[in-house]
Amino acid sequence: MVQNHHGTVGENKGKRPKFFINDHVDILIEILKRLDCRSLCVAASVCRLWCTIARNDSLWENLCFRHVSPPPSSVRSVVLALGGYKRLYMGCVRPVRSRLGRVRRASWARDEVQLSLSLFCVDYYERLGGGSNSNGRLVGESSPSSLMFLCKPMNV
Amino acid sequence: MVLYDSATLAGSSSGSSSSSSSKPPPLQPEQRQDIDGHLAGAGYKVRSSELRKVAQRLERLETAMVNSPADLSQLASDTIHYNPSDLASWVDSLLSEFPLTPTCPAEFVTDPVTNQTVVNDAWTTTETNMLLVPQNVSYEQQNLNNQLTVVTAMEEDSGIRLVHMLMTCAECVQCGDFSLATSFLEDMQGLLTRVNTVCGIGKVAGHFIDALSRRIFQGIGGGSINGGSAYENEILYHHFYEACPYLKFAHFTANQAILEAFDGHDCVHVVDFNLMHGLQWPALIQALALRPGGPPLLRLTGIGPPSPDGRDSLREVGLRLAELARSVNVRFAFRGVAASRLEDVKPWMLQVNPKESVAVNSIMQLHRLLGSDPNRNAPIETVLNWIRSLNPKIMTVVEQEANHNQPGFLYRFTEALHYYSTMFDSLEACTVQPNKALAEIYIQREITNVVSCEGSARVERHEPLAKWRIRLTGAGFRPLHLGSNAYKQASMLLTLFSAEGYSVEENDGYLTLGWHSRPLIAASAWQAVSDAPSEFPVPDTHRLS
Repeated sequence: MVQNHHGTVGENKGKRPKFFINDHVDILIEILKRLDCRSLCVAASVCRLWCTIARNDSLWENLCFRHVSPPPSSVRSVVLALGGYKRLYMGCVRPVRSRLGRVRRASWARDEVQLSLSLFCVDYYERLGGGSNSNGRLVGESSPSSLMFLCKPMNV
Repeated sequence: MVLYDSATLAGSSSGSSSSSSSKPPPLQPEQRQDIDGHLAGAGYKVRSSELRKVAQRLERLETAMVNSPADLSQLASDTIHYNPSDLASWVDSLLSEFPLTPTCPAEFVTDPVTNQTVVNDAWTTTETNMLLVPQNVSYEQQNLNNQLTVVTAMEEDSGIRLVHMLMTCAECVQCGDFSLATSFLEDMQGLLTRVNTVCGIGKVAGHFIDALSRRIFQGIGGGSINGGSAYENEILYHHFYEACPYLKFAHFTANQAILEAFDGHDCVHVVDFNLMHGLQWPALIQALALRPGGPPLLRLTGIGPPSPDGRDSLREVGLRLAELARSVNVRFAFRGVAASRLEDVKPWMLQVNPKESVAVNSIMQLHRLLGSDPNRNAPIETVLNWIRSLNPKIMTVVEQEANHNQPGFLYRFTEALHYYSTMFDSLEACTVQPNKALAEIYIQREITNVVSCEGSARVERHEPLAKWRIRLTGAGFRPLHLGSNAYKQASMLLTLFSAEGYSVEENDGYLTLGWHSRPLIAASAWQAVSDAPSEFPVPDTHRLS
């Protein structure tokens, strides 16, 4: 919990120094790593330090692979090349997980991530092209839309 | 002509329910028997000739039950019904229980269609009983109830009538009676104005009416519809890809099969019979990048139509795929083969290296090679032969699960009507525009080709998987089971499409995706049977489930 600087200084007479979490970034990271998506987004609006930490991709990597046995290290390079974990989570893993929530089985966690990765890759491919061809598309839109069936507007 | 008998009954007896639930069930082109086949299956014996009368009676019964002020429980407890499976007399006995005989809703329907040969005679010869007003129900409310029943009944009725007329018109076309067919067309256009053409049967009927008029007035050469530019086709295909899961299912299932087939191979070559935007391949590249043991060297040969305006669209797609492959550290090489027809492709154009493992991928392309001329060697055999000569590790075939290649026009028309009605139904689940509208145009082009073209202009020669199995095994291929990973992936993909209605089924090693138990697209995998005596290890045919 963030404490008021002035409060700390004012009460620092003969009592133990109050604990100020922002002084211990490693602990802060450990805590934030374990949050769920919504809490993490809320935490990002607390202060600038928290915002910077929350934007760190490794936290989102944790979110993506939390329930999955550790994936091979090559996944990281692929995901980073395709746009990063936060984008992967917000664009694919989260909608996939929420849609599949009703048929949840423990063994599906890995498959969910793999399917999300494939969809993410298609999405990256579309973003590469900036549309179907360099002359622009018939309807004039150039944003990738293969993920639209997941129906979550991306706000990365 | 096939009678829509059971549908009439279903539609009539639930006149106040929403029109979406009274969609006519698929027609079966069965022979006319004395006892109606559909109802016999449900346990009721009704003569086909009596069906219209029974339908009318049931409607009257429903109106009576709805409007009757008396407690209906006496019907259940006091009256004795003999032989309820004899539907005609059972309904009559029920009707006699009611003291009043309310007017049949059909009386309100003024029959605008002048062509008497199709119209149900029973509608025009109703008894004109005056409506006797029960004491407890006011006249206005009664009238309103009847009117509501009339409106929905009329619309369902129009929809059913439209289908009847479509069938009759198609029969006229088959017999060559074009003048009668033309008059039917005019009537149907008129009927279309009274039916909701935004969704349901009205929309599909509109497309089929269009296709029929093309056939009658423009002949069977196809005209402008087949000459759609490659660019347009790509756009429509892309929107079809996004609006419904059929193409995604095809791509993901084929990719899974190819991935499993390439397990352990370091030099792989994929031949894609229809590259389009190459949307299938990013997922395979990513999966190969992440496979244990590292990615292989991937070569992709994409076949596509030549681009007219000097742009090399194949090369552009190849460049994008190469860039993606480079980002994920997969060694990749692309080659484009421009051919306006698949049969123009020769194996030497593909430049297959003998040391590499080949996969051939055909998403809804093989059916274009089927000709209707039984005497000539259809191009399919040539193509299958050279595919076999490449000795591919796997050939993935995805085709529409429909029987649209029969020589008889009426049969083909009926099958197409079922198939595309189901497909349009499934499209209703998609709400994203403009995907949906353009996807419909894509489907409409298929419909037009199936209905209005003949000979070499008709390229949409869909055949069901059963026929493809015979054809492919005869050409020297053996089926490979698709395995549980593909099935799991397909089910997950389906769940993401949050539309309750799609269903994936696994049968004997192949997967089908359908809408409400009607399979619409089937995916299968094949391997060439080697002619040489097996000094090579026999490949395993069973994937672990």
